[in-house]
Amino acid sequence: MNTIPIRHKWEPYLWLLPSLLLMSIFVVFPIGIVFKLSLSQISKSGVVGGWYGLENFRTAFRDPAFGTVMLNTAVWVVSVVGLSTLLGFITAMALNTKFFGRKVARSIVVFPWATSLVIQASVWNYIIKAEYGNLNNVLLNLGVLRSAVNWRASYQIEFAWECGVGIFVTIPFVAFTVLAGLQSIDDAYYEAATVDGAGFWRKLWNVTIPLVKPSLTVCTVLNIIYVFNSFPIVYTITKGAPANKTDTMVTLLYMRAFYDNQKGAATAMSVIGFAILCVCAGAYMMITMRKEEQ
Amino acid sequence: MRPSTPDVVARVNRRALIAALLAAALCLVALSLPLYGFSATVFAKKSGNTFVGDEKYQAVRAEVEEAAAVYAAEHGGTPEIVETVTERVNSKGEKTSMVAFEVREVMGRSGWAFMRSGLAAGWLLLAAALCLIAGLILLCAGLAGAWTVDWPELPASKRGLRRCGAALGLAALLLIPLFLMRCNVDFSRQIKLASDGYAGAGLDALLHRLDAFLYGGSAGENTLSLMGGVSYRALWPAWALLPLLCVYTLAAVIAAEGHPAHALTRGLLYGFIIALCVLILYPYYVMLITAFRSNAETTDMYFTHMFPTQWVWSNLRDIINRGVPRYLLNSLLLSVGATAIALLCGIPAAYAMARMRFVGKRAFLGFVIMSQMFSPVVLLVGISRLMNAIHLNDTVWGLMFINAAFNQAFAIWLLRGTFVSISSEMEQAACIDGCSTVSAMLRVLLPMAAPGIVTTLIFVFINAWNEYTISTVLISTASNKPITVGITQFSSFNMIEWQYLFAASLVATIPVVILFMCIEKHLAAGLTAGGVKG
Amino acid sequence: MKKLIALVLAMLLVLGCCAAFAEGDGITLDVIICQYGPNTENWFLGDGMDGTNFVAKFEEANPGIKLNLQVVSWNDVYTEVSTRIQNNNAPDILNIDVFANYAADGLLLPVKDYCPDELFADFFPSFIEQSVIDGTVWAVPDLASARALYVNTDILNEVGVEIPTTWAELEDVCQAIVDFYNGEVYPWGIDMTTDEGQAAFSYYVWNNDGGFVDADGNVALNSEKNVEAIEYAIGLVNKGYTNPNPATQTRYDLQDMFGAGKLAMVIAPNQLPSYLKDKDYNVNFATAALPVNEGAKPGATGVMDRVMAFKDDAYPDQAARNEAIGKFLSFFYAPENYVGWVSMEGFLPAVNSSVAALVESDPSFEAWLNVLDSCQFYPTALDNWDAIKQGVIKVEQEALTGGDVKTLLDDLQKEIAG
Repeated sequence: MNTIPIRHKWEPYLWLLPSLLLMSIFVVFPIGIVFKLSLSQISKSGVVGGWYGLENFRTAFRDPAFGTVMLNTAVWVVSVVGLSTLLGFITAMALNTKFFGRKVARSIVVFPWATSLVIQASVWNYIIKAEYGNLNNVLLNLGVLRSAVNWRASYQIEFAWECGVGIFVTIPFVAFTVLAGLQSIDDAYYEAATVDGAGFWRKLWNVTIPLVKPSLTVCTVLNIIYVFNSFPIVYTITKGAPANKTDTMVTLLYMRAFYDNQKGAATAMSVIGFAILCVCAGAYMMITMRKEEQ
Repeated sequence: MRPSTPDVVARVNRRALIAALLAAALCLVALSLPLYGFSATVFAKKSGNTFVGDEKYQAVRAEVEEAAAVYAAEHGGTPEIVETVTERVNSKGEKTSMVAFEVREVMGRSGWAFMRSGLAAGWLLLAAALCLIAGLILLCAGLAGAWTVDWPELPASKRGLRRCGAALGLAALLLIPLFLMRCNVDFSRQIKLASDGYAGAGLDALLHRLDAFLYGGSAGENTLSLMGGVSYRALWPAWALLPLLCVYTLAAVIAAEGHPAHALTRGLLYGFIIALCVLILYPYYVMLITAFRSNAETTDMYFTHMFPTQWVWSNLRDIINRGVPRYLLNSLLLSVGATAIALLCGIPAAYAMARMRFVGKRAFLGFVIMSQMFSPVVLLVGISRLMNAIHLNDTVWGLMFINAAFNQAFAIWLLRGTFVSISSEMEQAACIDGCSTVSAMLRVLLPMAAPGIVTTLIFVFINAWNEYTISTVLISTASNKPITVGITQFSSFNMIEWQYLFAASLVATIPVVILFMCIEKHLAAGLTAGGVKG
Repeated sequence: MKKLIALVLAMLLVLGCCAAFAEGDGITLDVIICQYGPNTENWFLGDGMDGTNFVAKFEEANPGIKLNLQVVSWNDVYTEVSTRIQNNNAPDILNIDVFANYAADGLLLPVKDYCPDELFADFFPSFIEQSVIDGTVWAVPDLASARALYVNTDILNEVGVEIPTTWAELEDVCQAIVDFYNGEVYPWGIDMTTDEGQAAFSYYVWNNDGGFVDADGNVALNSEKNVEAIEYAIGLVNKGYTNPNPATQTRYDLQDMFGAGKLAMVIAPNQLPSYLKDKDYNVNFATAALPVNEGAKPGATGVMDRVMAFKDDAYPDQAARNEAIGKFLSFFYAPENYVGWVSMEGFLPAVNSSVAALVESDPSFEAWLNVLDSCQFYPTALDNWDAIKQGVIKVEQEALTGGDVKTLLDDLQKEIAG
């Protein structure tokens, strides 16, 4: 084991202290406040009253949009995480082969990662505007289209666009984590596989995937959390319209808190969201870790 | 798989040559067939307040039929008369009716007609045909005199000729979609713009050519109104050009490379990479060109110009006057501060996690991951109450700590990975020599881990730079806003000023993108360390 | 290691000290102003007021009162205010559209506590009435705007139809435009977005003798008239007479379409001409009253924003604070300042004393002032107004996706009225 001797039993804890302190004050403490608020009565303009039991949770569950939004959230998380993992993996495979201009291509792929989500979302919102958006502009002027297309003809399509933007901004993160995994694979494995007569798909299945799995696991857990909590894309492009049909949980609770003045329900929803995340991320980690141990 | 004996080589080359010649010949045949079918209006007449069968109707009908007869006499063919009746009952209960007549003729235009027309599409088609013919000549020259030579031993000049032949085939192949797209532009887009009143020298010339192309110059003054009624579609010979040229190119590739599989996978790889890069760069292109458009042009509903008609550099000056430098400074302060705090706290923690054994290691890891699960949006209320309690509300300082705290997990994950990937032997030696753990870390480990630390540093910096949600709620004083919040003033509920929004976004994005490009090399390395042993 | 901890602690300490020493003497008023347009911030804080700004001018005229004034965008202002209230850090003076929630929570000072009588008498009485709950005035209007129908006269002339005055005529005109332009021009603009869908609701129900409340002032959202009105509006969308995405195309999108000649008719506020001018649009247009349903009384829609003062029980000298707030208002509404403020973004005034100067600077104001007289306003004095507002927007958006208007409004009424 790659460890060094320590002189006192308490020494490691001292090393952890600053980090622990920082996170306790600025992350855990607000979490506590939110939990407390979710059990308190909150007036419409935001004055905090006394103990309210589980009333806020009842309001949250009775919210007419709750069902739709949970479904949306599921679609959002599964599609964005799933497709960005798949596409990110392909991108990483491509970027890991040698070709002319690889350095430039790699630099370009990090772009979306380096750009603020609000900015990305605003740009895409502009791009898909039916009346003056840039997508119509480019496609018409290049001659791909004959007449302007309404790219957001229904809310289902708008939600699909939102998922698309979500995937677009998530790909670089996945691609680079997988790329990191790919680069650490020893060429000897592939040589051995070639000697055994394995083709591309068998090498992919038997060598590449098992070896990048650890990086993929971490990256998927983080992605689930980030994507679930992602707010600017939906908020910028549709604000959940029409009638919360394109909202995800996080935007719904923001709208409830700051547009509809249902702060109690909103804090309850944050706690529910937290619980869901804990269960999902926890279960995912347990499953993958158990598999690895076997 | 590869041809080796002269017999086999000769057979492969013969097949390739035959395929190439056949494909080229079929291409020429396709070019002589009608590539596009036009259903063009040669005469049009509208008559309001007219009912089918009444006097007015009869008169107009007769006029239209006469025009059709005249056209048939002059140009031949059988023009068709299309009659559209629009009937409506208005709210007063009265019936109204409008009749529109059109004399239409169906016509086809071959590739050679396109090439003679002087239309941009015609030039593209001509270029494609020339490419194909030149390619064929080069291919034959490359094959001549080296008929039985296996491709690994092929002299460079011969191989070069064959490759050029393949490349020209590819060029011809790519020119065909351009031709189809250009036809769309000429026949629908430009005509639409012209009929919407966007006249210009280019459009006038185009109308002239279209008149010559479709009506043999007889439409004259009426070209524009008649063109409004043209419908057109590409016929099968136009589409057939694509697979034929594919076959030709493939044949040339086989002759040049011996085996196409390698060329195909490379082609796929390049195709994927190019498509990906275009997709990724597209929003940045939009940002760039929109940032320098005039306010009116950002919402141009006729899509007249792909690029700004005039690059309005004063947009930059305007955003500077509206506080953007101040926001940038705030963002810089905030990001530097957050990075410093995150690393000062994160390095010791990561060191302990990497190098020491202790009870509660897993618990700490769980704690770190849990701290990531609450989104800032969810915690907004809690965070702002906390900030108020410690008098950091509405300050850049407050944001620094928040950002540092929310980036702890990522920082620890990356740093720990880096530390684990470095052997601890040197530190162990240093410890045995009597160094304290602190100095072992500072003097021995940190210099070795510098690349990983830089990666982490830039990561946190960028996350803090791009953070939006917390800042938007915590900061309300204009002079304390970071750039991500500052730019929202350009997209307020009242009015979206796209040009300023994107100019400011561009200014906010460029430094970060450059930073990220700088660490791109270390990025994968840093993530390797973090991921694999994570 | 210990150094690190010490450093962190030291930094925290320094920060705390900085915050503690920030207080000064005299009185400082926290003011939040909403951003009405690109000039607002410059007028209050930059150099948009003849080279100086409102804050500087005010502080010069009133030594001893400092203004901590922020201009907040409409996007953020609700978030900003509600977080500040939750943190017991409410502003002293707030400019926003709603007030009933704050009054219901006992956060507001009654206007008579701080507003000088002279100034109070200057407000249009019909405006003041809109801010009364149980006989107490809680806020004063800062400006108003009125909505009218704008039509593109070129399009209507070309199609050969008259400006519609009734709903039936409106459908005729829409159909004629659709026929003529093959759908290239949208006849009618509807904005049912989350931002301002309540306006669309009012345009139709008020022109069908319906409304948010009944004659007794009780919430009556599911009246027959309302159902008919909203069904009519949704019908326009479904028949293809309107812009294609009413749930996400904001009034600004509509105004742009109108300017570009893609939209024949739109209901917009009196600032539309200046908006079109700013963006170099070149359209010939005319204004008209909103079309009404046959037999119904026409109802123009007015929108009014307000200024209100929050309580601060912790402040030692309440009388001095009230006086300072009064001075702020007097200064703000003084014609030499107020005229500039109102005309800057093309709004309509809320006080009599500035009318003469405004009419002089722009004669078209007079017509709008007459419209303003007949305007109906949102029932913002209801403490559940924001629920009603979001509720009707949701009803519209649900109806757009195929919901039944009657059921939706019945459900909303049940939810709002208990």
